Amino acid sequence: MSRLALSLRINGETHEVLTAPHRTLLDVLRDDLGLTGTKENCLEAECGVCTVLLDGRAVNACILLAAQCRGRDIVTIEGLASGGELHPLQRAFVERGAVQCGYCIPGMILSAKAYLEECPEASEDGIREALAGNLCRCTGYQKITEAVATAARELYGGRTTQ
Amino acid sequence: MSFECHEPSSVTDAVALGARFGEEGRFLAGGTDLIIQMRRGKVGPRHVMSLHRVSGLDRIEADGAVRLGALVTHRTIERCPAFQGPLQALVESAAVVGGHQIRNVATVGGNIVNASPAADVVPVLLALDATVTCLGPDGERTLTLDGFLTGPGQTARRPGELLTSVRFDQLPPGSATAFVKAGRRKAMEISVVCVAVRLTLDAAHARCQEARIALGAVAPTTLRARAAERALEGQPLTDEVLRRAGRLAAGECGPIDDVRASARYRRLLVETLVPRALRRSLERIGRAA
Ligand SMILES: Cc1cc2nc3c(=O)[nH]c(=O)nc-3n(C[C@H](O)[C@H](O)[C@H](O)COP(=O)(O)OP(=O)(O)OC[C@H]3O[C@@H](n4cnc5c(N)ncnc54)[C@H](O)[C@@H]3O)c2cc1C
Ligand code: FES
Ligand code: FES
Repeated sequence: MSRLALSLRINGETHEVLTAPHRTLLDVLRDDLGLTGTKENCLEAECGVCTVLLDGRAVNACILLAAQCRGRDIVTIEGLASGGELHPLQRAFVERGAVQCGYCIPGMILSAKAYLEECPEASEDGIREALAGNLCRCTGYQKITEAVATAARELYGGRTTQ
Repeated sequence: MSFECHEPSSVTDAVALGARFGEEGRFLAGGTDLIIQMRRGKVGPRHVMSLHRVSGLDRIEADGAVRLGALVTHRTIERCPAFQGPLQALVESAAVVGGHQIRNVATVGGNIVNASPAADVVPVLLALDATVTCLGPDGERTLTLDGFLTGPGQTARRPGELLTSVRFDQLPPGSATAFVKAGRRKAMEISVVCVAVRLTLDAAHARCQEARIALGAVAPTTLRARAAERALEGQPLTDEVLRRAGRLAAGECGPIDDVRASARYRRLLVETLVPRALRRSLERIGRAA
Protein backbone atom coordinates (compact mmCIF):
# COMPACT_ATOMS: atom_id res chain seq x y z
CA MET A 1 0.00 0.00 0.00
CA SER A 2 1.18 3.50 -0.73
CA ARG A 3 2.45 5.76 2.01
CA LEU A 4 2.30 9.52 2.27
CA ALA A 5 5.08 11.58 3.76
CA LEU A 6 3.41 14.45 5.58
CA SER A 7 4.77 17.40 7.38
CA LEU A 8 2.23 18.43 10.01
CA ARG A 9 2.37 21.58 12.14
CA ILE A 10 0.87 20.71 15.51
CA ASN A 11 0.91 23.09 18.48
CA GLY A 12 3.59 25.13 16.75
CA GLU A 13 5.94 22.18 16.15
CA THR A 14 6.53 20.44 12.86
CA HIS A 15 6.18 16.65 12.81
CA GLU A 16 7.23 14.45 9.88
CA VAL A 17 4.99 11.41 9.57
CA LEU A 18 4.75 8.58 7.09
CA THR A 19 1.22 7.24 6.91
CA ALA A 20 -1.31 5.35 4.79
CA PRO A 21 -3.74 7.57 2.82
CA HIS A 22 -6.84 6.43 4.70
CA ARG A 23 -5.54 7.42 8.13
CA THR A 24 -7.21 10.33 9.84
CA LEU A 25 -5.65 13.17 11.75
CA LEU A 26 -7.06 11.49 14.87
CA ASP A 27 -5.20 8.24 14.09
CA VAL A 28 -1.94 10.11 13.58
CA LEU A 29 -2.32 12.26 16.69
CA ARG A 30 -3.13 9.39 19.01
CA ASP A 31 -1.28 6.41 17.56
CA ASP A 32 1.77 7.93 15.88
CA LEU A 33 2.46 11.02 17.96
CA GLY A 34 1.11 9.92 21.34
CA LEU A 35 -1.04 13.04 21.63
CA THR A 36 -3.88 11.24 23.39
CA GLY A 37 -5.54 14.39 24.77
CA THR A 38 -7.65 14.31 21.61
CA LYS A 39 -10.20 11.59 22.35
CA GLU A 40 -11.79 8.95 20.17
CA ASN A 41 -15.36 7.74 20.38
CA CYS A 42 -18.07 7.71 17.68
CA LEU A 43 -15.81 8.19 14.64
CA GLU A 44 -18.81 9.72 12.85
CA ALA A 45 -18.53 13.43 13.68
CA GLU A 46 -21.44 13.19 16.11
CA CYS A 47 -19.89 13.52 19.58
CA GLY A 48 -17.07 16.06 19.31
CA VAL A 49 -14.52 14.37 21.62
CA CYS A 50 -12.00 14.46 18.75
CA THR A 51 -12.30 18.23 18.19
CA VAL A 52 -9.08 20.04 17.27
CA LEU A 53 -8.45 23.45 15.73
CA LEU A 54 -7.50 23.52 12.05
CA ASP A 55 -6.33 26.99 11.02
CA GLY A 56 -8.17 28.26 14.10
CA ARG A 57 -11.51 26.60 13.40
CA ALA A 58 -13.00 23.68 15.32
CA VAL A 59 -13.13 20.46 13.28
CA ASN A 60 -13.68 16.75 13.96
CA ALA A 61 -10.31 14.99 13.62
CA CYS A 62 -12.07 11.62 13.21
CA ILE A 63 -13.31 12.43 9.70
CA LEU A 64 -10.36 14.52 8.55
CA LEU A 65 -7.71 12.67 6.56
CA ALA A 66 -4.21 13.44 7.77
CA ALA A 67 -3.41 14.25 4.14
CA GLN A 68 -5.90 17.14 4.24
CA CYS A 69 -3.85 18.81 7.00
CA ARG A 70 -0.62 19.23 5.08
CA GLY A 71 0.73 22.73 5.57
CA ARG A 72 -2.07 23.79 7.91
CA ASP A 73 -1.97 24.81 11.52
CA ILE A 74 -3.30 22.27 14.03
CA VAL A 75 -3.91 22.95 17.72
CA THR A 76 -4.78 20.15 20.16
CA ILE A 77 -5.53 20.37 23.87
CA GLU A 78 -1.83 19.74 24.59
CA GLY A 79 -1.08 23.07 22.91
CA LEU A 80 -3.15 25.29 25.18
CA ALA A 81 -1.20 25.60 28.39
CA SER A 82 1.96 27.65 28.08
CA GLY A 83 4.97 27.81 30.38
CA GLY A 84 3.26 25.53 32.90
CA GLU A 85 0.26 27.90 33.09
CA LEU A 86 -3.16 26.63 32.15
CA HIS A 87 -5.08 28.53 29.47
CA PRO A 88 -7.85 30.70 31.02
CA LEU A 89 -10.46 28.33 29.56
CA GLN A 90 -8.81 25.33 31.21
CA ARG A 91 -8.56 27.19 34.50
CA ALA A 92 -12.21 28.24 34.34
CA PHE A 93 -13.29 24.63 33.73
CA VAL A 94 -11.35 23.49 36.79
CA GLU A 95 -12.45 26.35 39.04
CA ARG A 96 -16.11 26.16 38.03
CA GLY A 97 -16.26 22.40 38.57
CA ALA A 98 -17.19 21.85 34.92
CA VAL A 99 -15.30 18.57 34.65
CA GLN A 100 -16.58 15.18 35.78
CA CYS A 101 -15.17 12.13 33.96
CA GLY A 102 -13.34 14.52 31.66
CA TYR A 103 -13.66 12.62 28.40
CA CYS A 104 -15.52 15.37 26.56
CA ILE A 105 -13.51 18.24 28.00
CA PRO A 106 -10.63 18.62 25.52
CA GLY A 107 -13.15 18.91 22.70
CA MET A 108 -15.36 21.28 24.70
CA ILE A 109 -12.44 23.58 25.44
CA LEU A 110 -11.24 23.70 21.85
CA SER A 111 -14.75 24.37 20.50
CA ALA A 112 -15.12 27.10 23.09
CA LYS A 113 -11.75 28.61 22.17
CA ALA A 114 -12.66 28.82 18.47
CA TYR A 115 -16.03 30.32 19.33
CA LEU A 116 -14.63 32.99 21.68
CA GLU A 117 -12.03 34.04 19.15
CA GLU A 118 -14.74 34.50 16.55
CA CYS A 119 -17.25 36.00 18.93
CA PRO A 120 -15.69 37.63 22.04
CA GLU A 121 -19.07 39.00 23.13
CA ALA A 122 -20.27 35.52 23.96
CA SER A 123 -23.86 35.06 25.10
CA GLU A 124 -25.15 32.01 26.93
CA ASP A 125 -27.19 30.99 23.87
CA GLY A 126 -24.17 31.51 21.65
CA ILE A 127 -22.02 29.32 23.89
CA ARG A 128 -24.61 26.55 23.92
CA GLU A 129 -24.94 26.76 20.16
CA ALA A 130 -21.17 26.66 19.66
CA LEU A 131 -20.93 23.54 21.85
CA ALA A 132 -23.86 21.71 20.18
CA GLY A 133 -21.42 19.38 18.44
CA ASN A 134 -19.81 18.35 21.75
CA LEU A 135 -21.72 15.83 23.82
CA CYS A 136 -21.22 15.40 27.55
CA ARG A 137 -22.65 12.37 29.37
CA CYS A 138 -21.88 13.68 32.85
CA THR A 139 -22.30 17.33 33.60
CA GLY A 140 -25.63 18.49 32.17
CA TYR A 141 -23.77 21.35 30.42
CA GLN A 142 -24.69 24.07 32.91
CA LYS A 143 -21.27 24.36 34.54
CA ILE A 144 -19.54 24.00 31.19
CA THR A 145 -21.51 26.97 29.87
CA GLU A 146 -20.67 28.96 33.00
CA ALA A 147 -16.99 28.10 32.70
CA VAL A 148 -16.88 29.34 29.10
CA ALA A 149 -18.65 32.57 30.10
CA THR A 150 -16.17 33.05 32.95
CA ALA A 151 -13.21 32.56 30.63
CA ALA A 152 -14.76 34.93 28.09
CA ARG A 153 -14.92 37.66 30.74
CA GLU A 154 -11.34 37.04 31.74
CA LEU A 155 -10.07 36.94 28.16
CA TYR A 156 -12.15 39.68 26.59
CA GLY A 157 -13.41 41.91 29.39
CA GLY A 158 -16.69 42.28 31.17
CA ARG A 159 -19.23 42.26 28.41
CA THR A 160 -20.34 38.66 28.54
CA THR A 161 -23.92 38.09 29.60
CA GLN A 162 -24.68 35.04 31.66
CA MET B 1 -10.88 2.02 3.96
CA SER B 2 -8.13 1.62 1.42
CA PHE B 3 -7.54 4.04 -1.42
CA GLU B 4 -5.05 6.30 -3.12
CA CYS B 5 -5.23 9.94 -2.10
CA HIS B 6 -4.77 12.73 -4.62
CA GLU B 7 -4.44 16.40 -3.84
CA PRO B 8 -5.01 18.39 -7.04
CA SER B 9 -4.00 22.04 -6.71
CA SER B 10 -6.26 23.51 -9.40
CA VAL B 11 -9.68 23.01 -10.98
CA THR B 12 -7.97 21.84 -14.17
CA ASP B 13 -5.99 19.16 -12.30
CA ALA B 14 -9.07 18.06 -10.37
CA VAL B 15 -11.07 17.66 -13.59
CA ALA B 16 -8.21 15.72 -15.22
CA LEU B 17 -8.06 13.33 -12.24
CA GLY B 18 -11.86 13.02 -12.28
CA ALA B 19 -11.74 12.04 -15.95
CA ARG B 20 -8.92 9.56 -15.35
CA PHE B 21 -10.61 7.69 -12.49
CA GLY B 22 -14.29 8.01 -13.51
CA GLU B 23 -16.48 5.71 -11.39
CA GLU B 24 -13.48 4.61 -9.31
CA GLY B 25 -12.83 8.09 -7.97
CA ARG B 26 -14.58 10.39 -5.54
CA PHE B 27 -14.00 14.05 -4.87
CA LEU B 28 -13.55 14.85 -1.19
CA ALA B 29 -14.73 18.25 0.07
CA GLY B 30 -15.58 18.46 3.81
CA GLY B 31 -15.84 14.67 4.05
CA THR B 32 -18.80 14.90 6.44
CA ASP B 33 -20.80 12.57 4.23
CA LEU B 34 -18.12 10.79 2.22
CA ILE B 35 -15.70 9.67 4.96
CA ILE B 36 -18.56 8.34 7.06
CA GLN B 37 -20.08 6.46 4.12
CA MET B 38 -16.66 4.98 3.34
CA ARG B 39 -16.12 3.92 6.93
CA ARG B 40 -19.52 2.25 6.96
CA GLY B 41 -18.55 0.43 3.78
CA LYS B 42 -21.34 2.01 1.73
CA VAL B 43 -18.92 3.32 -0.86
CA GLY B 44 -15.38 2.21 -1.58
CA PRO B 45 -13.63 4.47 -4.05
CA ARG B 46 -10.15 3.38 -5.18
CA HIS B 47 -9.15 7.02 -5.59
CA VAL B 48 -10.03 9.92 -3.34
CA MET B 49 -9.40 13.37 -4.80
CA SER B 50 -9.31 15.88 -1.98
CA LEU B 51 -10.25 19.38 -3.05
CA HIS B 52 -8.62 21.20 -0.10
CA ARG B 53 -5.82 22.68 -2.21
CA VAL B 54 -8.06 23.80 -5.09
CA SER B 55 -8.51 27.54 -4.83
CA GLY B 56 -11.23 29.73 -6.30
CA LEU B 57 -14.17 27.45 -5.52
CA ASP B 58 -14.77 28.82 -2.03
CA ARG B 59 -16.09 32.26 -2.96
CA ILE B 60 -19.53 33.84 -2.89
CA GLU B 61 -20.25 36.41 -5.60
CA ALA B 62 -23.41 38.38 -5.00
CA ASP B 63 -23.32 41.40 -7.30
CA GLY B 64 -26.01 40.72 -9.89
CA ALA B 65 -26.72 37.00 -9.90
CA VAL B 66 -25.51 35.06 -6.86
CA ARG B 67 -22.84 32.43 -7.43
CA LEU B 68 -21.66 30.09 -4.69
CA GLY B 69 -18.49 28.13 -5.38
CA ALA B 70 -18.93 24.42 -4.68
CA LEU B 71 -16.47 24.58 -1.76
CA VAL B 72 -18.28 27.37 0.11
CA THR B 73 -18.87 26.03 3.63
CA HIS B 74 -22.14 26.25 5.54
CA ARG B 75 -20.38 28.45 8.08
CA THR B 76 -19.46 30.92 5.32
CA ILE B 77 -23.08 31.03 4.09
CA GLU B 78 -24.30 31.51 7.66
CA ARG B 79 -22.06 34.55 8.12
CA CYS B 80 -22.41 36.09 4.65
CA PRO B 81 -23.75 39.69 4.92
CA ALA B 82 -25.31 39.45 1.43
CA PHE B 83 -27.75 36.84 2.74
CA GLN B 84 -29.18 38.88 5.60
CA GLY B 85 -32.10 40.31 3.54
CA PRO B 86 -34.52 38.48 1.21
CA LEU B 87 -32.16 35.51 0.93
CA GLN B 88 -32.30 34.87 4.69
CA ALA B 89 -33.52 31.28 4.23
CA LEU B 90 -30.01 30.38 3.05
CA VAL B 91 -28.64 31.48 6.42
CA GLU B 92 -31.47 29.73 8.26
CA SER B 93 -30.75 26.43 6.52
CA ALA B 94 -26.94 26.56 6.65
CA ALA B 95 -27.06 27.44 10.36
CA VAL B 96 -28.80 24.18 11.30
CA VAL B 97 -26.45 21.79 9.51
CA GLY B 98 -24.75 19.78 12.29
CA GLY B 99 -22.65 21.70 14.81
CA HIS B 100 -19.83 24.20 14.30
CA GLN B 101 -17.30 21.45 13.57
CA ILE B 102 -19.46 20.18 10.71
CA ARG B 103 -20.31 23.61 9.31
CA ASN B 104 -16.67 24.70 9.36
CA VAL B 105 -15.79 22.07 6.76
CA ALA B 106 -19.02 20.83 5.11
CA THR B 107 -19.70 22.43 1.75
CA VAL B 108 -22.70 23.42 -0.33
CA GLY B 109 -21.33 21.31 -3.21
CA GLY B 110 -21.20 18.25 -0.94
CA ASN B 111 -24.75 18.89 0.27
CA ILE B 112 -25.95 18.92 -3.36
CA VAL B 113 -23.92 16.01 -4.79
CA ASN B 114 -24.61 13.80 -1.78
CA ALA B 115 -28.26 14.18 -2.81
CA SER B 116 -29.81 13.20 0.49
CA PRO B 117 -33.56 13.92 0.41
CA ALA B 118 -33.08 15.37 3.92
CA ALA B 119 -30.37 17.89 2.93
CA ASP B 120 -31.15 21.27 4.47
CA VAL B 121 -29.60 23.81 2.09
CA VAL B 122 -30.83 22.07 -1.06
CA PRO B 123 -34.55 22.98 -0.62
CA VAL B 124 -33.66 26.65 -0.27
CA LEU B 125 -31.61 26.52 -3.46
CA LEU B 126 -34.48 24.74 -5.18
CA ALA B 127 -36.89 27.47 -4.04
CA LEU B 128 -34.49 29.99 -5.62
CA ASP B 129 -34.60 28.17 -9.00
CA ALA B 130 -30.85 27.52 -8.73
CA THR B 131 -28.76 26.00 -11.48
CA VAL B 132 -25.58 23.97 -11.01
CA THR B 133 -22.49 23.97 -13.18
CA CYS B 134 -20.41 20.83 -13.71
CA LEU B 135 -17.04 20.62 -15.38
CA GLY B 136 -15.79 17.45 -17.05
CA PRO B 137 -13.44 16.43 -19.83
CA ASP B 138 -16.08 17.43 -22.40
CA GLY B 139 -16.39 20.92 -20.95
CA GLU B 140 -18.92 22.74 -18.83
CA ARG B 141 -22.62 21.95 -18.44
CA THR B 142 -25.26 23.92 -16.58
CA LEU B 143 -28.35 22.09 -15.32
CA THR B 144 -31.30 23.12 -13.22
CA LEU B 145 -30.86 21.87 -9.64
CA ASP B 146 -34.28 20.26 -9.95
CA GLY B 147 -33.10 18.27 -12.97
CA PHE B 148 -29.75 17.49 -11.32
CA LEU B 149 -31.31 15.65 -8.36
CA THR B 150 -32.56 12.35 -9.72
CA GLY B 151 -32.98 10.08 -6.68
CA PRO B 152 -31.76 9.39 -3.15
CA GLY B 153 -27.98 9.72 -3.42
CA GLN B 154 -28.30 10.08 -7.18
CA THR B 155 -27.67 12.99 -9.49
CA ALA B 156 -27.25 13.72 -13.19
CA ARG B 157 -23.52 14.27 -12.59
CA ARG B 158 -21.47 12.21 -15.04
CA PRO B 159 -18.68 10.04 -13.61
CA GLY B 160 -15.67 12.22 -12.87
CA GLU B 161 -17.47 15.54 -13.33
CA LEU B 162 -16.63 18.26 -10.82
CA LEU B 163 -19.44 20.45 -9.51
CA THR B 164 -17.96 23.94 -9.65
CA SER B 165 -20.77 26.28 -8.62
CA VAL B 166 -24.42 26.87 -7.92
CA ARG B 167 -26.10 30.02 -9.13
CA PHE B 168 -29.42 31.87 -8.87
CA ASP B 169 -30.85 35.31 -9.63
CA GLN B 170 -31.28 38.02 -7.01
CA LEU B 171 -34.91 38.34 -5.98
CA PRO B 172 -37.11 41.16 -7.29
CA PRO B 173 -38.49 43.76 -4.85
CA GLY B 174 -41.41 42.48 -2.76
CA SER B 175 -39.78 39.07 -2.20
CA ALA B 176 -38.70 37.05 0.80
CA THR B 177 -37.66 33.53 1.71
CA ALA B 178 -38.00 31.36 4.81
CA PHE B 179 -36.73 27.98 5.93
CA VAL B 180 -38.28 25.84 8.66
CA LYS B 181 -36.93 22.54 9.94
CA ALA B 182 -38.49 19.96 12.21
CA GLY B 183 -36.24 17.49 14.02
CA ARG B 184 -36.38 15.53 17.23
CA ARG B 185 -33.93 17.82 18.97
CA LYS B 186 -32.76 21.38 18.41
CA ALA B 187 -29.24 20.83 17.12
CA MET B 188 -27.15 18.13 15.41
CA GLU B 189 -30.26 16.66 13.89
CA ILE B 190 -31.14 15.36 10.44
CA SER B 191 -34.45 16.87 9.32
CA VAL B 192 -37.65 14.92 9.88
CA VAL B 193 -39.15 17.46 7.50
CA CYS B 194 -37.78 20.73 6.19
CA VAL B 195 -39.56 23.38 4.16
CA ALA B 196 -38.16 26.27 2.13
CA VAL B 197 -40.36 28.91 0.55
CA ARG B 198 -39.94 31.98 -1.60
CA LEU B 199 -42.66 34.52 -2.21
CA THR B 200 -42.79 37.49 -4.55
CA LEU B 201 -45.77 39.83 -4.26
CA ASP B 202 -47.15 42.12 -6.99
CA ALA B 203 -46.34 45.85 -6.97
CA ALA B 204 -49.37 46.69 -4.82
CA HIS B 205 -48.45 43.86 -2.40
CA ALA B 206 -52.04 42.67 -2.86
CA ARG B 207 -51.48 39.33 -4.52
CA CYS B 208 -48.84 36.66 -4.87
CA GLN B 209 -46.96 36.99 -8.12
CA GLU B 210 -44.64 34.02 -7.78
CA ALA B 211 -44.31 31.26 -5.18
CA ARG B 212 -41.84 28.43 -4.68
CA ILE B 213 -42.19 25.69 -2.09
CA ALA B 214 -39.54 23.00 -1.66
CA LEU B 215 -39.84 20.08 0.76
CA GLY B 216 -37.08 17.96 2.30
CA ALA B 217 -37.23 14.42 3.75
CA VAL B 218 -40.66 13.61 2.32
CA ALA B 219 -39.81 12.07 -1.07
CA PRO B 220 -36.89 10.29 -2.81
CA THR B 221 -35.46 13.72 -3.72
CA THR B 222 -35.96 17.23 -2.41
CA LEU B 223 -39.33 18.05 -3.91
CA ARG B 224 -41.04 21.12 -5.38
CA ALA B 225 -44.69 21.28 -4.26
CA ARG B 226 -46.00 22.57 -7.57
CA ALA B 227 -49.74 22.26 -6.96
CA ALA B 228 -49.32 24.24 -3.74
CA GLU B 229 -47.30 26.89 -5.59
CA ARG B 230 -50.03 27.23 -8.24
CA ALA B 231 -52.67 27.61 -5.55
CA LEU B 232 -50.83 30.70 -4.29
CA GLU B 233 -49.94 32.47 -7.52
CA GLY B 234 -52.36 35.22 -8.51
CA GLN B 235 -54.15 35.01 -5.17
CA PRO B 236 -54.39 37.41 -2.23
CA LEU B 237 -52.51 35.56 0.51
CA THR B 238 -55.19 35.16 3.14
CA ASP B 239 -54.64 32.66 5.90
CA GLU B 240 -57.13 30.31 4.26
CA VAL B 241 -55.11 30.41 1.01
CA LEU B 242 -51.91 29.62 2.92
CA ARG B 243 -53.54 26.73 4.78
CA ARG B 244 -54.86 25.34 1.52
CA ALA B 245 -51.32 25.41 0.10
CA GLY B 246 -50.24 23.39 3.15
CA ARG B 247 -52.92 20.77 2.51
CA LEU B 248 -51.99 20.54 -1.17
CA ALA B 249 -48.27 20.18 -0.35
CA ALA B 250 -49.08 17.40 2.14
CA GLY B 251 -50.95 15.63 -0.65
CA GLU B 252 -48.15 16.06 -3.17
CA CYS B 253 -45.32 14.60 -1.12
CA GLY B 254 -44.56 10.91 -0.67
CA PRO B 255 -42.98 10.40 2.74
CA ILE B 256 -41.96 7.04 4.17
CA ASP B 257 -41.89 5.58 7.68
CA ASP B 258 -38.35 5.41 9.06
CA VAL B 259 -36.44 5.54 12.34
CA ARG B 260 -37.01 9.29 12.64
CA ALA B 261 -40.76 9.54 12.04
CA SER B 262 -43.80 7.96 10.45
CA ALA B 263 -45.06 8.96 7.02
CA ARG B 264 -48.31 10.17 8.59
CA TYR B 265 -46.50 12.46 11.01
CA ARG B 266 -44.36 13.84 8.19
CA ARG B 267 -47.47 14.74 6.18
CA LEU B 268 -48.96 16.49 9.19
CA LEU B 269 -45.73 18.44 9.57
CA VAL B 270 -45.79 19.50 5.92
CA GLU B 271 -49.38 20.67 6.27
CA THR B 272 -48.40 22.84 9.25
CA LEU B 273 -44.91 23.99 8.29
CA VAL B 274 -45.73 25.15 4.76
CA PRO B 275 -48.21 27.83 5.90
CA ARG B 276 -45.84 28.72 8.78
CA ALA B 277 -42.96 29.35 6.37
CA LEU B 278 -45.26 31.29 4.03
CA ARG B 279 -46.50 33.47 6.89
CA ARG B 280 -42.90 34.14 7.92
CA SER B 281 -42.04 35.23 4.35
CA LEU B 282 -45.07 37.51 4.24
CA GLU B 283 -44.05 39.14 7.52
CA ARG B 284 -40.55 39.65 6.16
CA ILE B 285 -41.86 41.33 3.00
CA GLY B 286 -44.09 43.51 5.18
CA ARG B 287 -41.18 44.53 7.39
CA ALA B 288 -38.92 45.35 4.43
CA ALA B 289 -41.58 47.51 2.74
C1 LIG C 1 -22.88 14.91 12.53
C2 LIG C 1 -23.43 15.32 11.19
C3 LIG C 1 -24.54 16.13 11.13
C4 LIG C 1 -25.06 16.52 9.90
N1 LIG C 1 -26.16 17.32 9.90
C5 LIG C 1 -26.68 17.70 8.72
C6 LIG C 1 -27.82 18.55 8.69
O1 LIG C 1 -28.35 18.94 9.72
N2 LIG C 1 -28.32 18.92 7.49
C7 LIG C 1 -27.73 18.53 6.32
O2 LIG C 1 -28.20 18.93 5.24
N3 LIG C 1 -26.65 17.72 6.31
C8 LIG C 1 -26.12 17.29 7.48
N4 LIG C 1 -25.03 16.46 7.48
C9 LIG C 1 -24.51 15.98 6.20
C10 LIG C 1 -23.35 16.77 5.59
O3 LIG C 1 -22.68 17.52 6.57
C11 LIG C 1 -23.80 17.73 4.47
O4 LIG C 1 -24.49 17.03 3.47
C12 LIG C 1 -22.59 18.46 3.86
O5 LIG C 1 -23.03 19.58 3.14
C13 LIG C 1 -21.73 17.60 2.94
O6 LIG C 1 -20.66 18.39 2.46
P1 LIG C 1 -19.14 17.88 2.44
O7 LIG C 1 -18.35 19.00 1.89
O8 LIG C 1 -18.76 17.37 3.76
O9 LIG C 1 -19.26 16.70 1.41
P2 LIG C 1 -18.31 15.40 1.22
O10 LIG C 1 -18.61 14.42 2.27
O11 LIG C 1 -16.90 15.82 1.01
O12 LIG C 1 -18.91 14.90 -0.17
C14 LIG C 1 -20.25 14.42 -0.29
C15 LIG C 1 -20.43 13.82 -1.69
O13 LIG C 1 -20.33 14.83 -2.68
C16 LIG C 1 -19.24 14.59 -3.57
N5 LIG C 1 -18.66 15.90 -3.84
C17 LIG C 1 -18.34 16.85 -2.91
N6 LIG C 1 -17.95 17.98 -3.53
C18 LIG C 1 -18.01 17.74 -4.86
C19 LIG C 1 -17.75 18.54 -6.03
N7 LIG C 1 -17.34 19.82 -5.93
N8 LIG C 1 -17.93 17.98 -7.25
C20 LIG C 1 -18.35 16.69 -7.35
N9 LIG C 1 -18.61 15.89 -6.29
C21 LIG C 1 -18.46 16.42 -5.06
C22 LIG C 1 -18.35 13.60 -2.86
O14 LIG C 1 -17.62 12.80 -3.77
C23 LIG C 1 -19.35 12.80 -2.06
O15 LIG C 1 -19.94 11.81 -2.85
C24 LIG C 1 -24.47 16.07 8.70
C25 LIG C 1 -23.33 15.25 8.75
C26 LIG C 1 -22.81 14.87 9.98
C27 LIG C 1 -21.62 13.99 10.03
S1 FES D 1 -14.97 10.70 17.62
FE1 FES D 1 -15.01 12.36 16.27
S2 FES D 1 -16.91 13.25 16.67
FE2 FES D 1 -17.02 11.45 17.87
S1 FES E 1 -17.41 15.23 31.81
FE1 FES E 1 -17.88 13.14 31.37
S2 FES E 1 -18.55 13.27 29.30
FE2 FES E 1 -18.38 15.32 29.86
